[in-house]
Amino acid sequence: MITVVYRGIVAVAVILVVAELFSQRSLKVKINAGLVLIPLILRALMVA
Amino acid sequence: MAFGRNTIVSMVVLAFALGAVAAVIPSYRAAEQDDVIRRGPGVTEVRKLSTWFEGLGGTNGDTDVYVLDSGKPGATGLVLGGTHGNEPAGYMTAILIVEHAVPTAGRLLVIPHANRSSVTHTDYQEASPRELEFQGASGRRAFRYGSRATNPTDQWPDPDIYVHAASGQQLSGAETRNLNRAYPGRADGTFTERVAYGIASLVRSEKVDFVVDLHEASPEYPVVNAIVAHERAMPVASAAVLNLEFEDITIGLEPSPKNLRGLSHRELGDATDALAMLCETSNVSQGRLRGATDARQVIEGTDDKYLHAAGLGRLSVPFDEHGWPMKQRVGRHAATVVAILAAFTSAHPDRPISLSGLPSYADLMAKGLEPYL
Repeated sequence: MITVVYRGIVAVAVILVVAELFSQRSLKVKINAGLVLIPLILRALMVA
Repeated sequence: MAFGRNTIVSMVVLAFALGAVAAVIPSYRAAEQDDVIRRGPGVTEVRKLSTWFEGLGGTNGDTDVYVLDSGKPGATGLVLGGTHGNEPAGYMTAILIVEHAVPTAGRLLVIPHANRSSVTHTDYQEASPRELEFQGASGRRAFRYGSRATNPTDQWPDPDIYVHAASGQQLSGAETRNLNRAYPGRADGTFTERVAYGIASLVRSEKVDFVVDLHEASPEYPVVNAIVAHERAMPVASAAVLNLEFEDITIGLEPSPKNLRGLSHRELGDATDALAMLCETSNVSQGRLRGATDARQVIEGTDDKYLHAAGLGRLSVPFDEHGWPMKQRVGRHAATVVAILAAFTSAHPDRPISLSGLPSYADLMAKGLEPYL
């Protein structure tokens, strides 16, 4: 059960980072957001 | 509908991130593919651990159990390799037994990867190699190098404090994924507790007489090159130590601490009728003093930093430029298993157990592991 809760938290984090990626205008910040997304998506999918 | 420049750039960055995710997924999935282990002449059956505990079916905890049955009455022994995926001499010894040993009395059960999940990943920031490669007699053989713990994709998150269910003992949170802190396990527990429960169920159901859990430890760790034995296993373990000394293999004997819970030599000894023992060899790639970490270091067992530490008297084992190579570590484990079988048979002549076909310590030291792979 706790794993499902934590995956839900990660999924929310993914949504927030994607929203930030689209709202920010700085390319550097966008790239940062893209890099942050990679491990978050992998964990949300429980691949890594 | 026209997108602005900002949206287009965002979509490109997002596409790169998703592309990176898609690109790395196959390598993670490949790590879940089992190493090739060949059925040797002594293997009569291969079963899954879920045979003894259905709860493991379809999970990464459902590991292979090799049965080497002589067909003659005698004792039943269980050899566990791969309790910790970063202690390769343990599972390489188990694989050597599966591929070469022929039982001549009694029955031996062998689990090369007791925690199958632990070889599907490596520890963060340890620079661990992903696999160990050997040019074996039959060609290239590769075996995964893993982690001490269950993969977080099988059990996550870790609690701040791990409470051992049977005793209430408190340990650091990461130990919740350590199979050797999870015994005797729980049918409705975490992934790691369920694996431990499966192994304990096998021990009870098959009326296993003794368990040998093969490990490795860093050269500075106090309990290394030793057998750790439950108090009921002490007579057999001490006789095995004497047998090994006759082969010029120096090995220590340590009593299983009664106040350190969850370990195989404590819990399987307490919770089942089996005599429980654990063996340690010296592995520099696990140590905190080591230099650059790679597959060569794991296989050759040499390290300049450990050589320096030995000069300062900081190690628990002798250490020179030859280090502690894999062939020697596997040779020690294999010889220890044979010595335990002999000691058990001497103590219980009505329940003999013996093997043939396994290379000796001298063979492995002279020829290396490769001719047997």
